[in-house]
Formats: sequence, C-alpha cells, structure tokens
Amino acid sequence: MGPLRAMIGSVRTMKGARAAVELLKQQNVDIMFGIPGGVLLSFYNELAQSDIRHVLVRHEQCAGHMADGYARVSKKPGVCIATSGPGATNLVTGVATAFMDSSPVIALTGQVATGVLGNDAFQEADAFSLMMPVTKHNFRITDPALLPETIKKAFLIATTGRYGPVHIDIPVDIFNADITDEQMAKEVKVPKPKKNLAGLLDAVKLLEKAERPTIMVGGGVTWSRAGPDIMRLAEMLMAPVVTTLMAKGSVPENHPLVLGVCGMHGRQVANYALNNCDVLLAIGTRFSDRVTGKLSEFGMKTKVVHVDIDSSEIGKNVKGRVGLVGDAWTVVNALIAGLQMRTKTATWRDRIIQLNKECTCDYNFKSDPLKPQKIVFELSRILPDDAIVTTEVGQNQMWASHFFKCYGKRMFITSGGLGTMGFGFPAAIGAKMARPESVVADIAGDGSLQMVSHEFATAVENDVPVMVCLLNNGWLGMVKQWQKLFYESRYIATKFGGSPDFVKLAEAYGADAIRVERHSEVAEAIKRGIKSEVPILLDFVVDPEEDVLPMNPPGKSSADCIKGRCQWKGGGI
Amino acid sequence: MMMLLVYDQPGVMQRVMGEFNRKRINVETIVVGKCEMPERARIVLAIEDKEKATGVLEHLRALHEVIEADLVDHSRHEAYALVQTGEGLCRVTGSVEEVDSIVRKSKPEKYVQTMNAI
Repeated sequence: MGPLRAMIGSVRTMKGARAAVELLKQQNVDIMFGIPGGVLLSFYNELAQSDIRHVLVRHEQCAGHMADGYARVSKKPGVCIATSGPGATNLVTGVATAFMDSSPVIALTGQVATGVLGNDAFQEADAFSLMMPVTKHNFRITDPALLPETIKKAFLIATTGRYGPVHIDIPVDIFNADITDEQMAKEVKVPKPKKNLAGLLDAVKLLEKAERPTIMVGGGVTWSRAGPDIMRLAEMLMAPVVTTLMAKGSVPENHPLVLGVCGMHGRQVANYALNNCDVLLAIGTRFSDRVTGKLSEFGMKTKVVHVDIDSSEIGKNVKGRVGLVGDAWTVVNALIAGLQMRTKTATWRDRIIQLNKECTCDYNFKSDPLKPQKIVFELSRILPDDAIVTTEVGQNQMWASHFFKCYGKRMFITSGGLGTMGFGFPAAIGAKMARPESVVADIAGDGSLQMVSHEFATAVENDVPVMVCLLNNGWLGMVKQWQKLFYESRYIATKFGGSPDFVKLAEAYGADAIRVERHSEVAEAIKRGIKSEVPILLDFVVDPEEDVLPMNPPGKSSADCIKGRCQWKGGGI
Repeated sequence: MMMLLVYDQPGVMQRVMGEFNRKRINVETIVVGKCEMPERARIVLAIEDKEKATGVLEHLRALHEVIEADLVDHSRHEAYALVQTGEGLCRVTGSVEEVDSIVRKSKPEKYVQTMNAI
C-alpha cells in the first residue's frame, strides 16, 4: 500500500481528491482542460501525480469549448474543470454551447466548503443553480460518500440516450474527506433511454406511398454515425437528403442525392426539396427556427415522419406527425428492413439531381478585394479528405456551411444551437488533440476571434498546430448584414474602429502568421498553413461589402428568399 | 392536474419548476410533500391549459430526479380555501365552483385558495 492510502480502523480509505482523479482515470479520461483555483488545489495536487494530461487554458469558457471540440471528434466525453465563483460563471457559456448541440461534456467546478455554502464566502457563486438550465443534469456533492457514484453517474448520463453535458459542483472539503474502497466500488446505473417504434408501420406505409420523399438529417445522425445507413435508405427510397447545420459532414456532400445544408442560409435546392416533398423523413433534428423559418408555413403540404432519440422533441415544434423514438442508427435500419419491397419510379430523384446540378454557381472569384467565398472554395479544394473544419459564428460560419464540401472523413464542427462567437478556435484546439493526425482549420471572423485570441497562448504552449483562417472584414459582419437588409443600413456598433494587427498579435503569442490580400495568394497560403508545425494564422483581408446570400429572412418562408448573385431559377412547383 | 414522483432532495423543486418557467406555464396550485416511499416526494400541481401540460410532460420525464410524471383526471373537482372574515378564520372545502362562489360571496379580508389539487 502506497502512502496515498490510509487505514481508518480496518477500512482502507483515500482522500476525495485522489478518489476523483482515480475515477476520471477509470472513465478513460486522458486529457482535461481547465484553470486551477483556491478550492481546487488538492485536486490539482493529485492530478500532478497522475498521467492525465491537463491543458491550461487562458479563460474557462475556452476550457468548455475545447472539451466540446474534443468530444465531438472522439465521440467520448470531454472533461473541463474550473474553480468556484468566477471560474464557474465563466464556464457557463462553454457548457451551454455543449448543451444546445448535445455534446457529452463533463464540467467539474470547485466550490467553497459545505460549512460556508450559502454564506457569500470568497469566490462563492451558486454554480449548481447557474448550470441547471444549461446541462442535461447536474450534481452538487455535499456528502463525500456520494462522490464516487456521482462521478460514475455523470459519465453515464452524458453518454446515454441523447448526449449532453453534465456538471458536478464539488465543495473543497469533499476533496479532503475520506472515501472508502467500498464507496469507490459502488456500481451505478441510469434508466435506459425509452424507445417507441409503435409508429414504424405507419412510417413505412407513408414512405412506401410517397411520390416525392425527402430525408432531412440533423445532429443526431452525426452523433450516432448513421450516415452510411441513411445513404442506403436514400438510395432505396430514391429520396434526396438535406442536412441541418449540425448534420453537415454526416453524409457525403459529393453524393448526387445529398443537397447540402438547408435553412436560413442553406442551399436553395435543399430548401426546395424540403418544401416540395410529399413525405418528409426527419431524423435526429429538432426543427430549429433557423431551419423551418416561419413555423406555421413549414411543411404545410407535407406528411412528416419524425425520428428522434429524445421523446420530448417529438411534436415540440412540428406537431401531429408520425413520431418514432429511438436512435438514428436503429430506426434507419428498421426502416430499411421494412421498405425492402418498395418499387417506385425515379422521376423525383432524377429531377432533384438535375436541379442540384443547376443550383451550383461558380464561386471561384478571381477578383480583388478578396471575396470570402473564394477562401472557403480554396479550403474545400485543398484540404485533405480527413480535415476537420471548425467555425466561429456569423458570416464566416454561413459561408463555410454553404461553400465547404464535407465528404470522406472530413468533419464540420460548429456552434449551431447557441451560436457562440469564439467557439471555433478553442474547439479546433480540442479537435486537434482528439485527432492529431488530421489537419484542423478554424474558419474565423475578426469579431469572433477577438473574443478568444488569448488561446493562441494555449495552442503554442501545448504544441497544437491548428490553422486559423481569418476572414477579416473589420465588421461584425452578420449583424451589419441585418442592419443593411432590415434596418435601412443604419450601422451602429458593428464597425471595429481599432482592431489589432492580427499578424503581429499571433506572432506575439509565438504563432506563425501570414497576411493575404490577393486572390492569387490564397491557395499558396492555405498550403503553407497545412504544412505548418506551429499554430498559424492566415489573415485574409476580405471585402467588407460582401453579404451572405441566399438568405431566407427570419420568420418568413423560403418563398421570400433573398437570392443574391446566384440566380438559380428554382424548380417550380 | 399533474402528479410527479421525485427524489426528496434539495434542488428538485428548482429543477421541476424551471421547466414550467421555461415553457411560461403558470402553475395554479402546487402541493409537495413526503409520501409512502422513503426518500421520495410527491408533487401534485394544477395547470389550466391541458395542451401546455401535455407539452411539458415529456420534458419533466426527461429529468433525472423525476421518477414518474403523469396527468391525472380531476373529475372530483375538489378545492380548499382558508378564509378570514370578521368572525375569524374559516375553512371551506367542496367542488371548485362551490368553493369559488363561497369565497366570492363572503368577501373575505384575506384568503388562500387551492384548486384541483387535493
């Protein structure tokens, strides 16, 4: 027995801090992101003696995003940790982002001692209440005996059914209390996710009769990795596949039946298929307002089969449809089995494939000032087939979703639900740590990057060579676009008067950096970025007048689409 | 009317009521207490809008501290009121309509009323 274990009477015990580290190791945690603090000292002391790698971030929010990026790539829980009070409040944004995109993040926060809890002690904040609405579940441990089972439960809950973040608030005295081996060995279980496939026959009948079926896939398909099965089903049904932002990358976008991202800034042909199908098979999606536009007009002519792992999503936004509760992979395979007998003509499929070809405009803009679409085009062309692209939020995100083609082992990671500016860069760092052999590129905007630029220090310190492709237009571009389109170009608080020199900024942190102002230099810069062995910033100075189009105005249907320069004639009715 | 069986521990009410808050549902009456099972509590509450109640039900069932959540038929229509008049405190029980009319008729100085939740 080592010095870390002690005996009380005849019972073997260890300190709470030691137990917490051991439990994390039992859960196969090999990396965690965080910042220490007063109440976490004993935990970090034990962490120092373990082989779990700790990445010191510069702001707790980014610890959350890194754990999130790590989880989305590795498909296993990402762990982040912050101290009590301000550490916990800073972490909230990171956890909320993971919650909205159903990512399994384990967030640990230190807390003041149970004896002074609720007495406004130094660095006390009610982290338990703060985290409650932005987590799948959360715990506050006030009895050391419950520490082991709580940590085990947290990991189980995060990865059972619909994934989601779980938060544990641990007061400092719990870390110093004695935990017995018996408590450590306690087994836990959580309720199995409900399944309800009673509507399967109705769904099969609807799909069998469908003349113009369309499949819409959401983030649930990314998590359950059901992409290949969806494509099998699509080919059987001869149905086009449209994706939500969260599902981008789950199905290969170079397949003729895959129409790409639908919704507010989606491809027009994807929205056309969505609005003109007679049966919509929606899998793992929650019908977000960014996808449906005006909810009352969405799918008026359509019969909807809604598949989701979370029973509370069925009927939440789109009501009165055939609902199937189960994970995407299982249900899709059940549908495939049920639909073996279907024979249909290929009219709808052939028409959609033709329309899909027509709805492709040339965005290889050879003009200066540099157009942002050109950069995404070149990234799509040059990046390897296993590259991971993350995005910030705003115009950069929509250009990336519209023009970047995701196929093969490529991944697309973005803050879809919460829309957190500053997500992409730390998520890229987390993603690179989960899959170091892949090129990881963050498509960033200057507004978003300035929220998290301090993480260059983390990337350099930990030797994480991510590539930041900054679409630098000197504006909060998306807000500017809305002011232009809906508020008579009355610009306020959207132009940055005093942005830093981003090249010097990155270099100050020890990263590499290049400024690119001409379209002819884009490809070469990206190639240099791919080869770089240190974090690198590509500062693309782009045309600030460029808007993200096409766009369906908020609260309206796709009939009111603002088309921009891509004048696709549309498919008629 | 809705009945929930939950774990009897701090924070549960906050989590349950958080769902009603998020969905902007006003709870008419709520009664909470220990029940026949150890370490469990029952929450009985009444909501006017049945459609909203049905909508929130699945969200409540998804909470890890909620063991059961169901709508219950309130055919018995029982209500309770505690009324303070010039003559002192007075208890009123009966159907919702009866209790409501007695409270209105007696014009009390102060009163509390619980509907559909006994």
